[in-house]
Amino acid sequence: MIKPITFLIAGIFAISTHAFAQAPQPQAKPNEPEHEHHDHSGHSMSQDSGPAVDHSTMDHSDHDHDHAMDHSAHTEKSTDHGDAHHHHHMDHDHMMDHEGTMVMGENLDKLPSSCKSISEHVEITVRAGRKYARNFPGTAFAFDQQQWTVKPCAKVTWHFVNEDNIRHQFMMHGLPKYLYKYGMFHLEVTGPKTVSGTIIVPGSDDTFLVHCDISHHMEKGMKAQLVVGKGGTDIPSIPGLTPYNRVDTYEAENLPKLSDKEEQSKMVRQITQFTNNNLQTYGMMLIGILIGLLCIPLLRKIPVPKTKEEPPAAPRY
Amino acid sequence: MPIRIFIILSTFCLIAATTAAQAVSKLPETVKVNPSALTGEPMCDPKISPAWREAQEIEGVKIDASPVCSPDNPAWIAAAVKGTNNISMDTLMKTGLSPDAIIKTDDLDGDGDPDRIVIKLEIMELNGKSPDFPGIVPTFDIAPGVQPGAWVFAPKTSGMSTENFESVRANPLLRLPSPVIRVEVGDIVQIVLENTHYLPHSIHLHGVDHPFMHHEHGGQDGVPQTSEVELMPGERRIYQFQARQPGTMFYHCHVQTHTHLAMGLAGMIIVEENRPNNWLQTLNIGGGQVRHPSVAVKEQFDQEYDLHYHAMDKELGEIIQKYNDPRLIARDMNRRYDITDATEDYYTLNGLSFPYTLRESLIVVEPDQKIKLRMLNSGGELIAIHTHGHHATITHYDGVEHNPIAQIMRDVFDMAPAQRLDLKLETVNDGKHSYGEGDWLIHDHREKGITTNGMAEGGSMSSIVYKSYLTENGMPKVSHFGIDLNKYFTKEYYERRLPEWQDLDEWASLGSPGEKSGLDDATQTSAIYTLAGLFIGLFIYWIFSRRGQIEQSTMSAISRFKSPKGSKQ
Repeated sequence: MIKPITFLIAGIFAISTHAFAQAPQPQAKPNEPEHEHHDHSGHSMSQDSGPAVDHSTMDHSDHDHDHAMDHSAHTEKSTDHGDAHHHHHMDHDHMMDHEGTMVMGENLDKLPSSCKSISEHVEITVRAGRKYARNFPGTAFAFDQQQWTVKPCAKVTWHFVNEDNIRHQFMMHGLPKYLYKYGMFHLEVTGPKTVSGTIIVPGSDDTFLVHCDISHHMEKGMKAQLVVGKGGTDIPSIPGLTPYNRVDTYEAENLPKLSDKEEQSKMVRQITQFTNNNLQTYGMMLIGILIGLLCIPLLRKIPVPKTKEEPPAAPRY
Repeated sequence: MPIRIFIILSTFCLIAATTAAQAVSKLPETVKVNPSALTGEPMCDPKISPAWREAQEIEGVKIDASPVCSPDNPAWIAAAVKGTNNISMDTLMKTGLSPDAIIKTDDLDGDGDPDRIVIKLEIMELNGKSPDFPGIVPTFDIAPGVQPGAWVFAPKTSGMSTENFESVRANPLLRLPSPVIRVEVGDIVQIVLENTHYLPHSIHLHGVDHPFMHHEHGGQDGVPQTSEVELMPGERRIYQFQARQPGTMFYHCHVQTHTHLAMGLAGMIIVEENRPNNWLQTLNIGGGQVRHPSVAVKEQFDQEYDLHYHAMDKELGEIIQKYNDPRLIARDMNRRYDITDATEDYYTLNGLSFPYTLRESLIVVEPDQKIKLRMLNSGGELIAIHTHGHHATITHYDGVEHNPIAQIMRDVFDMAPAQRLDLKLETVNDGKHSYGEGDWLIHDHREKGITTNGMAEGGSMSSIVYKSYLTENGMPKVSHFGIDLNKYFTKEYYERRLPEWQDLDEWASLGSPGEKSGLDDATQTSAIYTLAGLFIGLFIYWIFSRRGQIEQSTMSAISRFKSPKGSKQ
């Protein structure tokens, strides 16, 4: 609960006073104490909030390493180039930090017209990564769950945990456009890292697409749906949940099998070789015999009229 | 009786002859394609602001004019020169780059430019299959309607892969070719590969001075058989180097190289000479003119161009359009695709084929200029680039300067696969360096190099255009010769449905012939056979009805034969 509030405060600050430089920085991020975010150009800044970034939930061993390396730079004189780092960007519906961690279309307090009040406040943790694709053969990336259900008019705070070392998104489509720009709510973060954001869902039963829009992440499995109330039409091709619109053609391959190897033991091979090589020949011979047997009555019949016809011809000779 | 048969026969022949004669008397009319039936596109992409062409200064970065019709987004150039960490959020938002895409810091040698460079690359698929609808996504056209399946290294972006939720067209940063990377001798460079693709990949720094392995980051030659394991989807790897030698080099994926390189995972990497205050344009997205050249290049040249020649096999690209399951894609690519039976179908310059090369890969010159051309051949075969109207000097092979006394001038530049050439193009009108002003073609002189899937005019051809031959919107001025390039900006042309020569004269003497008037060949043949069948039928019936008569006459004939025989005996 503290986070959304800090968020809100930061948001109000940024909108009302459009240039407050060097606001107090209550919490330096645990992993990057070296960062200093000075705003030299009158740009609004969201200090510790920006996107609510939670480093504490993650396994850091490898994160620390990479980021310490990437940003070692930042420790050094940022004023050297006459232009300082001011990475943090914030307007009413778009917040982004220096690493591209992004919250777009967050809605903390605007009620959809179909709602009189907020029905429930739920927090949902969504994990994203390659390892969740393990349960769905033929996919490459996935969320840990493929469907979430909330009540109409619920206020939902999403904690999006990206467990990969690349960018992933939690992008929701189809929300009312008078509340959400382009009808979208969007969390984006390069992992391993968490980003959080809140929305208030509409008051009617509906189903919303949730996906990662990085090229072919949705196509290769990172797709889910948010069901509000009883839900609406299912979204297609969600792994393990809804059927694919277009399915690939599969065929069994002639792959080496353990049983092949057993057959190769010498004794077996000799026997099978013997049979294999001769089976066809013997088979053909058997067919020949059968044909011959069948033809006997025919062959018998043919000479009969000949013998009858021959006598008149005989006198010629 | 025989007389009757002859009458029937001759009637039949007469009918057949007249049918045939009627067909020969007039050939089919020409059918001319109505231009408004074509899905024409504007020659210049209307989405690109003409203001981008002007010389300008953004974030203190001087950006040269680029008079072509689709110049690079100047915000990209500012971000590439300053680093995404040193520009305003306003400029950054105009680029679509991730805020950590290019991080430039630390003037280690105190010469006024940053020496720690971090470049983050992702791997993006273009024109791949969707399990949701019968199309491909995100789309990228190398020529009108031509959408080969491809993979690229892309600068780390922010947000969606398509233009917007309604569109399937790729975000402009996701494009062929993989971006041109520029660093300085002595820079501590980290190329961070974030494998956003669903298959394993790597980076091999071909020609760039790099240690075989790095104590912090492990193996870094990109080769799964010598230095490192494949970088799996969702993983990140850092390639670090500090180059001691300058030159035009090459980077590419070295996993299943025979397919991954041709799929587009290949780009130019240029190590520039170290100079004070040398703020380099770290990425030249889409290649072409370098609008913020290095200090060393500016010392000697008026302009600089990156020309990346590539070739792609249609059948290889189709694998990712046929399957969505990564296992099936891997199976077909690794085990079923046989490169020794394959042929290249698409020839591109800076990721595009003619006529799109005219939009952004023209070499726009003025008289008496010195222009540096850096060329890479990342295709699988030798190419032979010919410059109309000019001889240029080869100054460097594979990034290494050729002995200045021994440098030669040519007008055909043969480049083996992976080879780089640096050329000095001098627009001095002396009959050797240049024959004067004009719109001079520059093209691969293997004739297939000017085709797109075998359809000319296409391929990697572009032009060296003098400013006096350039229109205001950046296209070569050809209309005064009566040339209309509009037909190439239609997908029907590359679908082979538009006769190339139909507009050469008023009556389209070389247009497409329509259907034959009257009976076509097939109908005519079947009519003749039907008649013949009818005739044979009648003949059989006639024999059958008169079998008694025939029998009698045959018997009498036999007896007539027999009796003389008998008498003889």
